[in-house]
Amino acid sequence: MADTVATVTLTINGREVTVPKGTTVLEAAKSVGIEIPTFCWHPKLKPVGACRICYVEIEKMPKLQVSCATEAMPGMVVNTESEKVKEGRKAVLEFILINHPLDCPTCDKGGECDLQDNTFAHGIDDSRFDFNKYRFIRERKSTFDDYRIGPEIVRNQNRCILCFKCVRANKEIFGEYDLGVFQGGNISEIDTAPGEKVDSIYSGNLVEICPVGALTNTDWRYKIRVWKTQQVKSVCSYCADGCNLTLWKERDKVYRVTSRRNDVIDEGWICDVGRYGYQLASVEGRLTTPLIKKGDKQVAATWEEAIGLIARKFREIKDKKGGVCIGGLISPQQDCEALLAFSKFFRTQLHSNNIDFRTEYKMLPEKESPYYSRLTSASFRIADIENSDTILVVGTNLIKEHPIVHLRVRKAVNQKGAKLYTLNPFTTKSGDLSRDEIVHVPGTLEAFLNGLCIGLAEKADGEGNVRAAELKARLEPNTTAKAAEICGISEARLNDLAEALRSAKKISIIVGELVSGSPAREAIAAAIHNLTVVLNLNERGQAAILSRAANSKGAERLGVMPSLSKELQQKLKSMWGGFPETEGRATDRMIHAAKKEELDALLIIGANPVASFPDGQFVREGLDKLDFTVVADLYETETTEKADVVLPLSSWVEQSGHFINLEGTMQRFEAAIKPVGNSRPGRQIIEDIAREFKGGLFADAHEIAREMQELLNVEPRPSFPDAVAEVKFAEEKIEKDYPYPLFVVDEMHHFGHLTERSRSLAAFAAEAQVEISPSLAEKLQIENGSLVRLESETGKLVLPAKISEMLDNDVILISRNFSGTAANMLQMRKKRIDRVRLIRVDEK
Amino acid sequence: MEKRILFKYIDDPNQIHIDTYIAHGGYKAWEKTLKTMQPAQVIDEVKKSGLRGRGGAGFPAGMKWNFVPKDSPKPRYLICNADESEPGTCKDRVLMEQDPHGVVEGMAIAAYAIGSHLAFCYVRGEFVKPAALMEQAVKEAYDKKMLGKNIFGTGYDLNMVVHTGGGAYICGEETALLNSLEGERGMSRIRPPFPAVEGLYACPTVVNNVETLAAVPHIINNGGEWYASMGTEKSKGTKIFSLSGHVKKPGNYEVEMGTPLSYLISELGGGPLDGHKIKAIIPGGSSTPFLLPSQIDAPLDYESIAAAGSMLGSGAVIVMDERTCMVWVIERLIHFYRHESCGKCTPCREGTGWLEQLISRIERGEGKPGDLEKIDSICDNILGRTICPLGDAAVMPIQSALKLFRDEFQYHIDHKKCLVKSEFEFK
Amino acid sequence: MVDVIRTVFIALPKGFYTTLKHLFKKPVTIQYPKVKREMAPRYRGLHYLEVYEDGTDRCVCCGLCAAACPADAIYMEGAENEKGERYAKIYEINLLRCIYCGFCEEACPEEAIFLGHEYEFSNDNRDVFIFTKEQMLANRPKKEKPFKRIIRRVRRIF
Repeated sequence: MADTVATVTLTINGREVTVPKGTTVLEAAKSVGIEIPTFCWHPKLKPVGACRICYVEIEKMPKLQVSCATEAMPGMVVNTESEKVKEGRKAVLEFILINHPLDCPTCDKGGECDLQDNTFAHGIDDSRFDFNKYRFIRERKSTFDDYRIGPEIVRNQNRCILCFKCVRANKEIFGEYDLGVFQGGNISEIDTAPGEKVDSIYSGNLVEICPVGALTNTDWRYKIRVWKTQQVKSVCSYCADGCNLTLWKERDKVYRVTSRRNDVIDEGWICDVGRYGYQLASVEGRLTTPLIKKGDKQVAATWEEAIGLIARKFREIKDKKGGVCIGGLISPQQDCEALLAFSKFFRTQLHSNNIDFRTEYKMLPEKESPYYSRLTSASFRIADIENSDTILVVGTNLIKEHPIVHLRVRKAVNQKGAKLYTLNPFTTKSGDLSRDEIVHVPGTLEAFLNGLCIGLAEKADGEGNVRAAELKARLEPNTTAKAAEICGISEARLNDLAEALRSAKKISIIVGELVSGSPAREAIAAAIHNLTVVLNLNERGQAAILSRAANSKGAERLGVMPSLSKELQQKLKSMWGGFPETEGRATDRMIHAAKKEELDALLIIGANPVASFPDGQFVREGLDKLDFTVVADLYETETTEKADVVLPLSSWVEQSGHFINLEGTMQRFEAAIKPVGNSRPGRQIIEDIAREFKGGLFADAHEIAREMQELLNVEPRPSFPDAVAEVKFAEEKIEKDYPYPLFVVDEMHHFGHLTERSRSLAAFAAEAQVEISPSLAEKLQIENGSLVRLESETGKLVLPAKISEMLDNDVILISRNFSGTAANMLQMRKKRIDRVRLIRVDEK
Repeated sequence: MEKRILFKYIDDPNQIHIDTYIAHGGYKAWEKTLKTMQPAQVIDEVKKSGLRGRGGAGFPAGMKWNFVPKDSPKPRYLICNADESEPGTCKDRVLMEQDPHGVVEGMAIAAYAIGSHLAFCYVRGEFVKPAALMEQAVKEAYDKKMLGKNIFGTGYDLNMVVHTGGGAYICGEETALLNSLEGERGMSRIRPPFPAVEGLYACPTVVNNVETLAAVPHIINNGGEWYASMGTEKSKGTKIFSLSGHVKKPGNYEVEMGTPLSYLISELGGGPLDGHKIKAIIPGGSSTPFLLPSQIDAPLDYESIAAAGSMLGSGAVIVMDERTCMVWVIERLIHFYRHESCGKCTPCREGTGWLEQLISRIERGEGKPGDLEKIDSICDNILGRTICPLGDAAVMPIQSALKLFRDEFQYHIDHKKCLVKSEFEFK
Repeated sequence: MVDVIRTVFIALPKGFYTTLKHLFKKPVTIQYPKVKREMAPRYRGLHYLEVYEDGTDRCVCCGLCAAACPADAIYMEGAENEKGERYAKIYEINLLRCIYCGFCEEACPEEAIFLGHEYEFSNDNRDVFIFTKEQMLANRPKKEKPFKRIIRRVRRIF
C-alpha cells in the first residue's frame, strides 16, 4: 500500500473534514463525531441506500442525498441538520412506523433498538396513519406471528423494516443463500428459501445486526431486558481465532454473547459456537463438588479432602518411583495462567516433563522436527490474508475449524479478487470459493506438496533461486508426474497451481488440523517447508499451521509440552532455578507408559482423552492400569468415570485470564459470573494442589504476569530457515476389507467435548452422524437418517447416516463432539489414515 | 403526417423472416458498420443524429455509449431493454412482433459501437410471443452468420441472448433489470456507480430501449444528418406514440418529433368518441402528469411537453373523456404502483401502500376531511427521495391530478359520491 | 359570686352544649380495626396485577416498572408461554424497599400493575415481604378501582 493516500476535503455542518478518497459522506461525518441516523448501513457491507434515513443536504444538489452511498467529493458542502433534512428524516420514520407494531414492551430489542433511538431523536410524536397496520400471519397459533426460520432464530416480519442487512450479510459476508426477500412492495417479507433453514455457522450474526426486533435468537428471547444487564469483555474459548466477545450478564447468569468488533481478528462477526457456547456453564448436571472414589463409587468430598488426597498420593509416588511416574494432561482451552501453573507444578515440584495439551492428536513424535515447530510458530496475521493475492488452504475444513479465518479468506476472494486453492482429502465449503479445489487421495498430501515443489523448482531455475536447484537435486528421481499419479490428480492441475503460486505477489498458506493431527505431520511439514523455501515466502507472504483451540498457541509458547526448544528451556531454567533433565512424554507415550505400568498417576484438567484420543481402545486400557487418576472437568465425562478423584472445574465465563490466539496475540477475558457450585478455576486447582504438595507456585499475581511475559518474549523462531528438508513420497495403500477412509472431525456447530450441553448448539446438531457423500449413499443404498454400521480393525459403531451435499468423494466423516459416540474406538494411533467399511443396518 | 421509418414494413407479415428483411435492405447497416466503420465512428454518427433514448428519460444515446470506459479490461455488455411495462405503452412489442430483425440489427451495431461481444435482450415475462419471435430472429441471424464468430469475415464476434424476465414493472428500470438478469431479485441499485461504468456483473454495460436500438440501423444507412433533419432542434427524428383511451382509432403511430398532440389525437386517432369531449391527456405513459385539453396543441417533443408541465416519457398517449372519474383513474394507477413497488426503499414501499389506502378510501366514499392535504404531504415525501424513478412515477400523476382535478376529489370526500355521472359511479 | 353564677349557669351549659351537640353528631373517629375506612381513590397501597377478561396475564414482563422504580424493589424474569407470548415467570416486589410512589403503575404500558387500597400487611417476618406474582394476582380487588379509568383516560391524552 502506498503511504500517501489521496484525500479529499469537504465541509460538513461548517466543519472542514479531510478523509481518504472513496470515503462516503456518512463515514466522513462519523469520523468527526457528527451522527447521522442509519438503519440499513453497516460498516462491513456495501451500501444499498434502502432505508433513506441518512439523508443529508448537499449544496448544488436539488434533492436530498443518502449519505451512506454518496462519495465525499472535494469541496462538497454538506449539511446534516438543515430543516429539509430533518423533515426528510421525519417523513422516513413516519413511513417506517406506519406498519411497525408498537409492541416494544414485548420486543426483545426494546432498549437497544435503532428504530426506537432514531424515532426518539428524530421522529415525530404522532402518526397520521389511521388505517390498520398490515399484519403478516404465518403461524396462527402465535399471537405475534413469530416464525422460526432456523434452529435458533425467530423471525417476526411485522417488526421488520426491510433494511435487508440480514440478507446482504448472509450473501456478501457468509456466502449463504438460505435467506431472501419474498413478495414485493409493502408486503415484502424476509424468509428462508423454500425448504431451507438458517442454520449456517454464522447465523447468530444476522440477529446481532438486525436493527429492530425482527430477528431474535432463542437464548435471549423474552428472558431479560437489555438495560438490566451488565457487559463483560471476554474472548472466545473455543477455536484459536480468538474472537472478541461481550458477555451480557445479570446477577449470576449470562444471557447472551455478542461480538466485540476487533478489525484485526474478527471484524465484528463471530460464529455460533462462540455465540452459544457460553450456555454450557449453566446447564443442569455441572459437577459442583469434588468426588473421591471409594470402592466402586465416587462419593462427594470437600476440597480439603480431595486436595489432601491428591497431594499425599503424588508425594507417595514421587518418593517411591520419582516424579517421572506422574503425568499431566491439560486442555488447551484453559487460560495461560493455568497452563503456566501446570507446567511449573510439574517441572519444579514433581520434576517431571510429562505434560501435554494435545489429547486429540494421534501418535506424536518424541521430538518435533524444526520444520514442524517453525510452521506452528510462524508469524501469521488473519488480517494479512486479505492482502494476499493467492491463498492455499491445506488439510483443513476451514469453515469448521476456523470460521473467522474462513471469512477472511472469503473476503479476500470475493472483495479483493484473491485466488484460492484448496488441498484436502475431501471436498469442503471453502472449495466453493476456490479456483481449483484439489481433492487428493487421503494420506498422500506430502507427495502432492513435493510434486508442487518440483514443479516450482523447475520453473524457478531461470530466476536464479539458489534454493530451487538444491531442492531439485534432492527431489531428483521424482517428477511432478509421479506425484500427480500418487495423489490421483492430473499433472496439469498440479502445474497450474505451481504456476499460480510462482506468479503470485503475496501468498498465504493456511495449514490445518488434518496435517497437525496426522502421524505423518513431520513429513508434510517438511514438504510445506520446502514449498516456503522455493517460493521465498519470507519475503512474500505467510505460511502457518494454525493451532486448534483457544489457547493451543499459549500452551506452545508457555511450554506445556514434553520437549521444548532450547531457548524456552533455558529461559525456564533460569526463571525457575531448575528444569527436569528427564525426557518428557507426549500424550500417547504417557498412555503407553501407563499401559506398561511405567506411569502411575495422571492429572487431567479439562480434557477428555477417553473419548477424544484417536485410539479409544488404547487409552482405555492405559487409564485402567493407572494407580491414581485425577480429573477436573465441568461435567461427568468418559474420563471422569475412570478417575479416583474428580474435581469440579469452572468454565471460562466464571474466571478471568488470558488466551493466546493463533496469531500469537494475548487477549484478556474477564469473569462474568461466580464459579458454579464449589467449582474452581483450573489455575486455582493447580495452585491448591501445589501448595498442599510442596508450597505455593507463585508469590502473587504479578509473578504470574511477569513469568508469562518473560516466556512470551522468547522468540518463537520467526523466520523460515533456508535449509531444505528431507522429503518422502508416501503412497497410501488401499485395503480391500476397509475401503473407506475415515476422518473424525468436529461437528459444524460444536467444539470439544462439552458444547453438546449447550441447548442452542444442541438445537443445531444433537447427535453424532456419519457424513457421507451422495454418490456413496447411492452406491450403498443409504438414506438420510438411516442407521449404518462402521467397522474398522479395532471397533464397531452404529450411527445414523447424513448425506452431505458438500462431500463428493468416498470418505466418511464422524463428529467427535458427542458423548457416547466413541468414534475414537475406530481409530488407531499409529495409522495415518483410518479405514472403515460401511454397512447398512436394516432396521427391524 | 405519419412518417414511417421504423414502421416502414410494419404491415408486411413476412418481415419477421430474415430473407424478407434482407430483401428489404436489412442487415446492410450491420455489414456497413463492421466493414467500414470504427466503433468511434458509429458513436459519432449516432451523436450526430441526435437520437435520444426512447425508454422515457430521453438521454442522448450516443452520449450514453460514450460513457463506457475505453480502457477497462472488463468485458462490456449491451442490453436491449424490452421490458416494456409502462401502462399505455405498446410500441416495443409491435417492433419485436413485426420487425424483430430491426431490433437485432440495432443491437448488433450498438454492441459493436461499445465494444461488446455479448448482447442481451431482456424481454418482459408476459411477452411470450415477442420473446419467441426475437429468439427466432436471433437464431436466423446466427444461421445467416450475422451473429456468432467472425461475422462477415471481420474477426468480430458477437453473441446474443434473449432473456425473459419474471414480469415485474420495476425490471424496466435499468439497474433493476441488471439485477434481474444477474439472477437476483429485481430491485434497483443505488447510483453511482452508473451501469455504463459498473453494470451487469460489475462490468460496463449499456442499456437501451428497443425503439432506440431499432432506429440505429436507419441512422447508419442514411447518415446522422438525415435523421437529425427530422424533428425539432433538440428532439430529432421520429417517435412511435401509442395512442389509447377514448379515441376512435387507438394504435401505434410513428410521427416526426414536434408533431402537435392535436394532430396525433384528432387526425391519426380520429378524435374523441362521438358526442364526447376530451377531459385529460396523459402524454407519456402512466407515470407522467396529466395535460388538459387546452394544452392539446403542444408539439410532441421532449422540451415542449416538459414546458407544458408533463413529460414525453415513453410516448404512451392516453386520452380520457369527460365520463372518466379522475379519482378512479388515480386509484387504479396507485394500485398498480403499490403492487409493482419492489420494496427496497422506504418512501416508495410504505408511501405507495399508504397512498393506495387513502385514495381507495376516497374512491369508496369514505374519505375524511384532510385526506387531500395528507396525500399532498405524502407525495412530497416520496417525490425525489427514492432510489429509482418508480417513486416519482407513482406520485407525479397523483400530484398532477390533485392540482388539476382537486374539486373531484373534494366532492368524493364531501358528498360521498362521484362528481362524474358515469358508468363508474360507485355503489 | 357573680363569677360563680356566671360560671355555673352560663359557661358550663355553654361547654356542655358543645359536648351535647357532638353526642348526636356522627363521630369523626372510626372503630378500627372493626370498622375500616374507605381509602381515597388515589391511595397507593399494596400492589396487584390485573388480568385480561379471559384470565391471562396483562403483564408482559417488559421491565419498565422495574426501570422506573426509584427503590429498585421490583425483580422480574421473563419467559415464553406455550402460545409464544412473553410473560413474567418471576415477578417480585420487595415491599420493604417499595416506597409506594406509584411509578410502576404509571410506567406500565399494559395497564397490568396497580397500587390497591390495601394497607394492612405488617408482619413479624421479613421474608414474607417479598411479594410474589401469585400473591399479586390473588390480591386483585373484586371491584375495579375507580381511579383506573382516569389513569387510562389520561394516558390516552399523552
